[in-house]
Amino acid sequence: MTADSTSTLTEILVGGISRGAMYALVALGYTMVYGVLGMINFAHGEIFMIGMFACVYAIGAFSVAWGDHIMLNLTLGIMVAMIFSAAYGYANERIAYRRLRKAHVLAPLTSAIGISTFLQYFIFLTVSKDTVNFPRYYSDYLTNHHINLGSAEVTYLQLTILGLTLVIMTGLFYLINFTRLGIALRATAQDQLMASLVGIPVNRIIAFTFILGSALAAIAGVMFSMYNNVLVFDAGYRVGLKAFTAAILGGIGNIPGAVLGAMILGLTEALTTLNFGSQWDDPATFAVLMLVLMLRPRGLLGERVADKV
Amino acid sequence: MRMILRLRPYLLGLLGIAIITFPFLWLQLDPDFDNNTIKVRWAPQHGLQFFDDLLPVFVVSLLIWLGIRANRHWHWDQAAARNQTWQKSVAVWDDYWAWVAMPLVLCGPFFLSATGLGLLTNAGIYMLLALGLNITVGMTGLLVLGYAAFFAFGAYFFALTQQHLGYFPWWMAAPLAFPLGGAIGYLLGLPCLRLRGDYLAIVTLGFAEAFREIIRNLDISVAGGDQGIILKASSKFQPLWGLNRGDMCYIITALALFLAVFLVQRLYHSPVGRAWIAIRENEIAAEAVGVPVVQMKLLAFSLSAAVAAVAGVLYGAKDGFVSPALCEFNQSIMVLAMVILGGLGNSYGALLGAALLYLVPEYLKLLPSAIHDSPTLSAIVPTFVSNSLQNLSDYRLLLFGAVMVIMMLYRPQGLLGSARRKTEMRNA
Repeated sequence: MTADSTSTLTEILVGGISRGAMYALVALGYTMVYGVLGMINFAHGEIFMIGMFACVYAIGAFSVAWGDHIMLNLTLGIMVAMIFSAAYGYANERIAYRRLRKAHVLAPLTSAIGISTFLQYFIFLTVSKDTVNFPRYYSDYLTNHHINLGSAEVTYLQLTILGLTLVIMTGLFYLINFTRLGIALRATAQDQLMASLVGIPVNRIIAFTFILGSALAAIAGVMFSMYNNVLVFDAGYRVGLKAFTAAILGGIGNIPGAVLGAMILGLTEALTTLNFGSQWDDPATFAVLMLVLMLRPRGLLGERVADKV
Repeated sequence: MRMILRLRPYLLGLLGIAIITFPFLWLQLDPDFDNNTIKVRWAPQHGLQFFDDLLPVFVVSLLIWLGIRANRHWHWDQAAARNQTWQKSVAVWDDYWAWVAMPLVLCGPFFLSATGLGLLTNAGIYMLLALGLNITVGMTGLLVLGYAAFFAFGAYFFALTQQHLGYFPWWMAAPLAFPLGGAIGYLLGLPCLRLRGDYLAIVTLGFAEAFREIIRNLDISVAGGDQGIILKASSKFQPLWGLNRGDMCYIITALALFLAVFLVQRLYHSPVGRAWIAIRENEIAAEAVGVPVVQMKLLAFSLSAAVAAVAGVLYGAKDGFVSPALCEFNQSIMVLAMVILGGLGNSYGALLGAALLYLVPEYLKLLPSAIHDSPTLSAIVPTFVSNSLQNLSDYRLLLFGAVMVIMMLYRPQGLLGSARRKTEMRNA
């Protein structure tokens, strides 16, 4: 192998890991909600998409208000995106999940699909039927500067994505394992009735899970739209599908599993792109999903075996 | 004051929704291409247009709500259930009404216009799909999100075989598509139906996405790529006995639909149907009383897939054109919305849902020009109403989403719920 091809390989691997990191942020939302409620949050992909658009709207508004300050507007934009996504996530929980928690399994799934379709076409009809470009002025600094890793170039954006994901993972690990809130969350996941008997506000904990997952999805959304430089109303559905696959791959309900699964998926995609071209991403993702379901249906790190009665 | 207090949660909810939708509705993105930045512009006409277009929907839903409220002391389900003889007669009627309806439906070509026949043929294909999906979603209680993939599979199987074999008419393809579609369903279902039912939803969704991408990315000479495949005239529906092609499409679709209704109803009233319902109501209990849960789920799912594949062949033979757009997510969601609106677990409900969700938007599209052409109507109906009717078909999927949520919250059994579920609810 020549020096040139090794550098491409490294670059592609770094690209794959950064994609994986973004999937991981989305996959966490799926896996946390599943862990607590035992239900799949089908509208999560759309929450991610809302985060993308909210950030661009916020940047536009700040740019009108006080001009184009890259770092200030971008940071505030991400925060606004997190707040908006969290609000949509909360609304999703209140409308589609809370009243149907005791209903037949199909009911909350269907209502979440309804919310997802509604949001997708709401953005389609009110914002844009076409793609919107992320303002290059804001992403150029991060995408054009790079550091050299051996002979490979790693852009600042990729570093930011990896750094942010690492910080968030550490924070989440701390939150879940070492805080009162984390204990309440784990207790709710184990047994809702028992948790409520010992005084844990179960409804609020569940709402908090949705809000936390949605805020993480918003960060991923902003990073994703900067990375690909494009926003589109059905991005959430595509990314959501991949993140969900990642969550299953790692063992749904298992937080480190979701991260591991997302990384594997990101790398699979990068290697598929390298060998066959990026249009084969989706079939490759699907092949991975089917393989996992056939060979290790509980996922790589999943251990829970029996269904709850 | 008490009224306000009672309404407070709803008002707060509305306020919250107004705040979180504010930027998307009332502001517009304004890309600044010179500096590569973006600006936001206050654009109230944008949001007003949205509400104006949805005006007919608001009016109709208000009327429905008032109707339900006015009749709130009249419990439809209980009244129907109280009358046991009526219930029994329904069960008998269930099986035989189709024979009465069949000649009426088959006479369609004699009294319908070509446009009407075309719309009804399309509706028939959607009804077939809804009927098939209802087996899995309604009767067995498993969610399928990529149902259109099996439809596209049938259509592509037909299109590709007729391309390679030279002569391969629809009446050879349809009986072959049935077992093939079933086999694909079986293979897909096998890994995930051993697990939780939710996985099926995602696996079918992924299958639809992968299937479409594979078709699009294969070489154009293999599967037609993005442009799709135009079928040979010899494999499409042919005029026969003085009936033209449109009539034939209609009659064959109707016959296939009757056959499918008959098949599904027979299964529904058989031990297999009872097993499906048992799984839907409580999987663990069903397993405990000896229902072979995995086999029954697989049977339901592959039967669904088989029906969709046949519908795909009929679609190919009718339109003479297949493209990757057949397995878009929209299509799957549309069929799912039909089943949910019409009545989960009730075949006739699925048919009703398909007819409503396909025909109402189509006729709404035709309505403005009808109003425009007729002098009396255009004098009575204000312009803004006919304009909003025109735009309404763009809002179709938005409304489907809303319908799915509202149905799940207020009437999870659909318009015509499953009679067996009703009986159970009464006894409980």
